[in-house]
Amino acid sequence: MYQWLDERLDITRFNNKVLRKAFPVHHTFFLGEITLFAFVVLVLTGIFLTFNYEPSTRLIKVAGYTDPVQAAYASILYIDSLPFGAVIRSVHHWSAHIMIAAAFLHLLRILLSGAYKKPRELNWIIGMLMLVTSIVVAFTGYALPYDNYAVTATRIGHGIAQSVPWVGVAVAQIMFGGDFPGSDHSIPRLFSLHVLWLPLALMGLIGAHLLIMVKQKHTQPKYAEKVAPGKILGVPLFPQQAVMSGVLFLVYVAVVTLIAGGFLAHPVEAYGPLSANTPAVKPDWYFLWIYGLLKIIPSHWEFTIPLFNGGKFGPEFWGGVLIPSILLVGGLLIPFFSVTKDGQKQRYLELPSQKPVRTSLTIAGLMFLIMGTLAGYIGDSGMEWLTIPVAWTLLIVAPIVTYFVCYIIMRAIWGKTWPQEPQIEFIGGAKGSAADD
Amino acid sequence: MADYEAQIEHNILEHEEEEPSANTTRRAVLQAAIGVGVAGTVLSTLYVGAGLVPKKVFTPENEPLAAGDILVYAQGPNQNKPINPADLKVDVLQIIAYPMNPKTNVVKGSDPNNTVLIVKIQPSRLTPATAKGAVDGIVAYSGVCKHLGCIVSNWDPNLEQFVCPCHQGHYDPANSGKVMSGPPPKPIPQLPIKIENNQIIAMAFFLAPPGVNA
Ligand code: HEM
Ligand code: FES
Repeated sequence: MYQWLDERLDITRFNNKVLRKAFPVHHTFFLGEITLFAFVVLVLTGIFLTFNYEPSTRLIKVAGYTDPVQAAYASILYIDSLPFGAVIRSVHHWSAHIMIAAAFLHLLRILLSGAYKKPRELNWIIGMLMLVTSIVVAFTGYALPYDNYAVTATRIGHGIAQSVPWVGVAVAQIMFGGDFPGSDHSIPRLFSLHVLWLPLALMGLIGAHLLIMVKQKHTQPKYAEKVAPGKILGVPLFPQQAVMSGVLFLVYVAVVTLIAGGFLAHPVEAYGPLSANTPAVKPDWYFLWIYGLLKIIPSHWEFTIPLFNGGKFGPEFWGGVLIPSILLVGGLLIPFFSVTKDGQKQRYLELPSQKPVRTSLTIAGLMFLIMGTLAGYIGDSGMEWLTIPVAWTLLIVAPIVTYFVCYIIMRAIWGKTWPQEPQIEFIGGAKGSAADD
Repeated sequence: MADYEAQIEHNILEHEEEEPSANTTRRAVLQAAIGVGVAGTVLSTLYVGAGLVPKKVFTPENEPLAAGDILVYAQGPNQNKPINPADLKVDVLQIIAYPMNPKTNVVKGSDPNNTVLIVKIQPSRLTPATAKGAVDGIVAYSGVCKHLGCIVSNWDPNLEQFVCPCHQGHYDPANSGKVMSGPPPKPIPQLPIKIENNQIIAMAFFLAPPGVNA
């Protein structure tokens, strides 16, 4: 049997080339896999949701509501009434959170260990695009239940899209299918983006990401350098790595189901259908820092370039579009400024303490996001001490202080564990090296 | 294999040696063709892309507010019933209202930009400009926050200001909806009203266009 197949499909070659591929093992290497598992679970639960969801805002009568409600809202009530329907919907919802969180941590791991350097710049860029795409997918999914909370949150997104000078209104009209809320086309359009086009784009990006990863091989943990310099140290893809990943997937499903069983996500009944009252909305945690920036940027920071009618640069544009875009573009450019010596290929991970400046900048950047998030709580009860000037001060001072504290700590650690700079690139001495075969 | 490649190489070389000028022309023609093709595609995509912008479909329910419309409760037990000015108390949470066409009795609640806030404050506090559109301290404003479009549905009883729950934009109802704090870039426009038959009636359109982008 094996031979029969081998003669036709060349399995032995496939086995040697692909299945025996060495995978370095390190606990932080599973972050990317968790992101992938979350995506798989999102697609599977998403299929269930599409079977029962009605992407429409037509008004229908529903038992328990005096006034007609939107069909989208009614269909979520229906999903929640199915056996395990609410659990599956919650698995979908929590997986979206986990996917974004895991992708972000994955990115931090790559950043702190210098794994983005040559030759892996492409995968860094693809990774960034995937993070942004998943956030956009989550945003387009958020409106779908069409409860009062979701609509208000999405309405803010519509406002932010509109704030882009010149093109904003057209972009918002196209993405949201007209005015949001109000247009009958918005839910069908967001639905199409959410369940079809953006997931397809993500699948393409994920495929490219993985292929490039297989081609370029992992950067290896530092111990590999001491144990077997110049060689790839790891377990074979099949069966060892596959078993580990399979188990991890099952653990992922188990944990997220447990969470979903205990905590119903986004209780649409509690929020109620769309009404004229604005609930006190907060966006999901990954948008909170933008939300905080929007709260503290004063209204008079605006000017207009009176060209081709509509060159208005206002506070929503600064906080909602410009600052996030600057961070994104800055992130995309990292591998082109932080490079290896003499254009070497990066084969081993760097320790965070080995690059104190980069590590401190990263932590300071995180502090910026945390302080922006904190500003999102301005005006909440119990947060009276947090005024706009206080928030501004924290936003600017905290990252700077963090940078220096972190730098000093990193220097101290570095001095202890590594008496001198280790020679990373030249171990094994080979130019082409085993990793590029 | 190698022979074949050498052959091709040879052919190319021969070709170039023979007619360098013909080659340049050919390249220019090709480049022009590619350029025209790309430009044409981009243009036609933009042209077709215009179809992505949805048409606004007008229905009686989303027509813009007009002078003479009766203001009705947008929600609550009295939803779609005209607001009786006698029910308003000074300095309490604003009522959210929609305009109702007095001829057809259609409530125009489908366009969020028709949302109106109605509140009663001490008449003495109104600035002269605001008082012009008010009756007995009852003032009406567009309900759509000028910041990012949330409905301004909260009230701060200490400051006596409208508060937008989304990013804490504060507006002064006594002074033309002026922004008192928070991120909104502009005041919410006032809606001049009159009172007839115990109903609150819009006297004109909002004093400035309502909504985020206006
Ligand atoms: C790729 C990453 C994805 C993310 C980050 C994501 C995120 C979300 C979020 C945040 C919601 C709102 C859920 C709620 O609060 O109730 C949602 C709803 C929904 N999603 Fe996804 N989703 C993803 C993929 C998919 C896929 C692939 C499908 C379909 C094949 C899908 C189908 C749906 C449907 C039908 C809803 C509406 C039902 C509901 O809101 O419970 N999603 N999604
Ligand atoms: S939408 Fe009203 S303050 Fe931001």
